[in-house]
Amino acid sequence: MGLPNVSEDLSSEMEVDAFRRLFPLRYFERHLAESIRPDGRPLGKARETSIFLGAVASANGSALVKIGSTTILTAIKMEVMTPSLESPDEGCLAIDFHMPPICSPIVRPGRPAEASPVVSKQLSDTISSSKMIDLKELSLVSGKAAWMAYLDIYCLDADGALFDAALLSAVASLSHLQIPVVAMNDDGKIVLVSEEDGQKREQEPVNKEKRKLTLRSIPFSLTCILHKNYILADPTAEEESIMETHVTVVLDTSGQLISLYKPGGPVLAYTSAIQDCAALTRQRVKELKSFLDKANSAMEVE
Amino acid sequence: MAGKGGATPATYSPSPTTNRKKKPPIFKEDWVRPDGRGFHQCRPAFFRTGAVNAASGSAYAEFGNTKVIVSVFGPRESKKAMMYSDIGRLNCNVSFTTFATPIRGQGSDHKEYCAMLHKALEGAIILETFPKTTVDVFALVLESSGSDLPVVISCASLALADAGIMMYDIVASVSVSCFNKNLVIDPILEEEIGQDGSLMITCMPSRYEITQLTVTGEWSTTKINEGMQLCLDACAKLAKIMRSCLKEVASDSQE
Repeated sequence: MGLPNVSEDLSSEMEVDAFRRLFPLRYFERHLAESIRPDGRPLGKARETSIFLGAVASANGSALVKIGSTTILTAIKMEVMTPSLESPDEGCLAIDFHMPPICSPIVRPGRPAEASPVVSKQLSDTISSSKMIDLKELSLVSGKAAWMAYLDIYCLDADGALFDAALLSAVASLSHLQIPVVAMNDDGKIVLVSEEDGQKREQEPVNKEKRKLTLRSIPFSLTCILHKNYILADPTAEEESIMETHVTVVLDTSGQLISLYKPGGPVLAYTSAIQDCAALTRQRVKELKSFLDKANSAMEVE
Repeated sequence: MAGKGGATPATYSPSPTTNRKKKPPIFKEDWVRPDGRGFHQCRPAFFRTGAVNAASGSAYAEFGNTKVIVSVFGPRESKKAMMYSDIGRLNCNVSFTTFATPIRGQGSDHKEYCAMLHKALEGAIILETFPKTTVDVFALVLESSGSDLPVVISCASLALADAGIMMYDIVASVSVSCFNKNLVIDPILEEEIGQDGSLMITCMPSRYEITQLTVTGEWSTTKINEGMQLCLDACAKLAKIMRSCLKEVASDSQE
């Protein structure tokens, strides 16, 4: 008969779900003993990743990145500023990570989420340490005008490994960035040169050549969880909340270590564990590099 | 640090070279809308539910270049400070991304949108079904290109349906702009800037009931009636699109 089987299956599902909710750590450890995770991934595998460039039409550069369910949207707006006296030939990058209340049940409107400034600082440090961008390329007129690139990074869905997705999104949007052509008018102010007025061009563009930023060594990151003797790559939000020791390794495309971040946790970071994390990250960097190249070449075709 | 330490330097957006003043477009008989639409034609609407995995319900909406994402959380426990309530509570918040508007950071001063969204949805939700608890509706405008609030309201009602909150009917919203004596439906940003007045209707099309009506500027009675009828017809069509979106998700999950 069909009926008893149906009720048995249903009660089994309910029992598994109850076990997961009541004893989450034991539930995960039962999976780890079999070298698998509740979502079916092996321990060292990252979730499915996709990059979509040009998601925001009104921005100068933008990218939408999904790693599993984690969704990050980055947009770059270029504005003109007067450079400082210490560095008259350099522009600026202003990186801000936002967690609006739509992305997680924990975030409330009004005060910013606790994780926001941490990720902002991590991103700023990583991008400046990697020397991916030469700030001199953002200069327009020495001492008078330079670009200020505002990178606004929004988390649309928070499901773990936010920094990894945010860094990938920032890097992708910088590779997509199209700097507008500008000229200096009689008042000494920077104005856009529209292509419609090509024939009546009064001012000479000051940045005719520099429309794209040169990205030197590109940083990519991978967050891992250390738990007893296990290393879990690219954790979900549930895994992050249950197991406490996180390690984030950032490497660039030339294999150089840019950043190592371990915010506490009970598991000690032995050399062997760090080396294993770095090895997983090295593998991940190759994956992400090919994803980014694929996305950029797709944009060029369009 | 990649960013400049201390105070942020004053920056400005480079503006176009053309010095022509931004006069509002004077309505003429041969006037064509900037995006080529007819006067009584809405922008193409796109909806998708389940945009945010972490939320109980969520939806993403596009009306032309206006892009909105809404998350619904709950029903969940109200804050301790709130007094006991026999019926459920609805809490709404609308925010803009800094890059939503052409000039960065300009879109964050629409404080009244939260209250308007709340009033628009309150009449449609059966609050008695979740006493003592709160349903949170959070909206984020990713790109602002005119008629933002109607898109937020329509998207929010889809997100509530996705979350399984009981409602009397789907809520659809459309607005019109008034230029002298002519009406233009679903205005874009350029049209909104030069309008003489605007009218926004939020309604439950199946029940033919209005949950919110907002009028700004000067309107004659006949023009209000004409505008209302225009909006109600557009809302009925919009509700069909929204229902088909929900049906798609339901049939997908059945397979």
